[in-house]
Amino acid sequence: MTARADEGERSADRRLGADVVIDSVSKTFRRSGRRTVALSGVNLEVGAGELVCLLGPSGCGKSTLLRIVAGALERDEGTVTVGGRPVRGPSPDRGMLFQTPMLFPWLTTRKNILFGPRAQRSAGLNERDDPELDAEADAILRTVGLAKFGDAFPHELSGGMQHRAAFARAIVTRPSLLLMDEPFGALDAITRLRMHDFLLSMWDQYRTTIVFVTHDIEEAVLLGDRVAVMGGRPPGVQEVIDIPLPRPRDALDADTEAFLATKRRIRAALTV
Amino acid sequence: MAGWQPAGFGSTIDERTLVDEDFLPVDGEPDGTELDERAGRDDLAAYRRGRRRARTRRLATGAAGLVGLGVVWQIAASILRDPVFLPSVSQVATTFVHYFNRPYPAQGSPLWYDALTSLRRILIGFGIGVGIGVTLGSAMSASRVVRHLIDPVIEVLRPLPPLAFIPLFIIWFGIGELPKEILIIIGVTPILAVTTVAALDEVPEDLRLCARTLGASRLHTLVHVQLRSALPGILTGMRIAMAAAWTSIVAAELIAATSGLGYLIQQAGDYLNTALVLSGIICIAVIALTLDACLRGLLLLADPSRRG
Repeated sequence: MTARADEGERSADRRLGADVVIDSVSKTFRRSGRRTVALSGVNLEVGAGELVCLLGPSGCGKSTLLRIVAGALERDEGTVTVGGRPVRGPSPDRGMLFQTPMLFPWLTTRKNILFGPRAQRSAGLNERDDPELDAEADAILRTVGLAKFGDAFPHELSGGMQHRAAFARAIVTRPSLLLMDEPFGALDAITRLRMHDFLLSMWDQYRTTIVFVTHDIEEAVLLGDRVAVMGGRPPGVQEVIDIPLPRPRDALDADTEAFLATKRRIRAALTV
Repeated sequence: MAGWQPAGFGSTIDERTLVDEDFLPVDGEPDGTELDERAGRDDLAAYRRGRRRARTRRLATGAAGLVGLGVVWQIAASILRDPVFLPSVSQVATTFVHYFNRPYPAQGSPLWYDALTSLRRILIGFGIGVGIGVTLGSAMSASRVVRHLIDPVIEVLRPLPPLAFIPLFIIWFGIGELPKEILIIIGVTPILAVTTVAALDEVPEDLRLCARTLGASRLHTLVHVQLRSALPGILTGMRIAMAAAWTSIVAAELIAATSGLGYLIQQAGDYLNTALVLSGIICIAVIALTLDACLRGLLLLADPSRRG
């Protein structure tokens, strides 16, 4: 898959993130003789280092599209390239975060974070020794505010802490693209606001490309550079809307006039 | 007992979960350090101490229950005053100690030898049964064809009491060691196959995908994520199967054996040596509890959320 030879090249463009080109991707599910068109001729380009939200109701194909970009689902037609390389199967270059944190319950926070680097080491993708990895884990635990919880098990952490640990685990392998599938959907509203601030500050530090799936208009406007509104029959990208709000943003921006105007535009696009 | 649920999958936040610590990631934010201290390691240690204390209390209460049973027994025995019907605790203890290292005349071997014989049969049969059961379960979980092929066989075998096979096995294999071990295997294998399938099916697909996007190979994911994630469920199946194995072996020894705790109990009963019957039963209880404690220890190692 990812050859060791282009390790250097990858680490160079990682800080900027990779661009994503989705070109006329279609996907049809066949289950017990019934065909369901999940995506039809989807085109979308995401620039390097951009944060694009995929917004739409349940069943609009946004999660399907995300999983195709991740390489977890085969597409029927079309091409997907990330950083100029066609997507074939899952890769550590494309990190993924889910609605639930998906931490490994038998590993401490620190070992969860080091799962990726260690798995890659045993696959021969890196030759980093334990002290180096431990130092890296310490650094990232501090960054996500879990410095004192490296030895805690996932069930001992609160919901927000679990999500921060999951973020640390995904970012420690320095993916050039982060795919987030409604990552804060199961959190309470207040923790969720904190996680938005957290994500924005992390994105500011790591500058990776992010594709963020959500069904929450406010979340999409607050986080995204652009919002791809999905839906329709057959499902696809209806409209891509620029978010004209300045950065850095935080939760307080949700009360401004410009924010509300953008929300109105998106709501109009959704009801088409 | 609540079903095993990996932390974070269902976002179950209950009283066992630490209170959320506010977190402000903005650089140079003075609140950040203050809140970090509040969320300090001391809190985690104190939280774990509290859970350990609760566990000690639970164990102490359980021990009190057992002592209570002994007291009721002793009182009943002293009222009845009939050692053939119900010997007292001290009579049983004396008999236990007496025959532990001396052969019972009707039977020819001391208690420890019979205990070891039964234990050996259990461990061999259980070990082989677990091996076959986990292998079958993994294959059934991995392949739809294998599942559809083997599922009916297991569903037919599972509700059958292994004791029903004893006469058949005597015809086929005589009364040696082989039929007893096969009897245990027949009881253990379906339990492990069913629990292994259930445990592997419960591993979320996204957990597998998560490991793959972190750079783990297919094999690494299978061993270190899928099987590892199913391990607590498999160990729980082993605990259930261990109890079933004891039922099978003692019954087999009662009916067709020349050694083992079941045989000893049978012989002692024939001669109305009630204290020795009870000694044999207590011996089974102690060994079974010890083996179960070992499995529970492994379960605690495998599933941190059960600790404390």
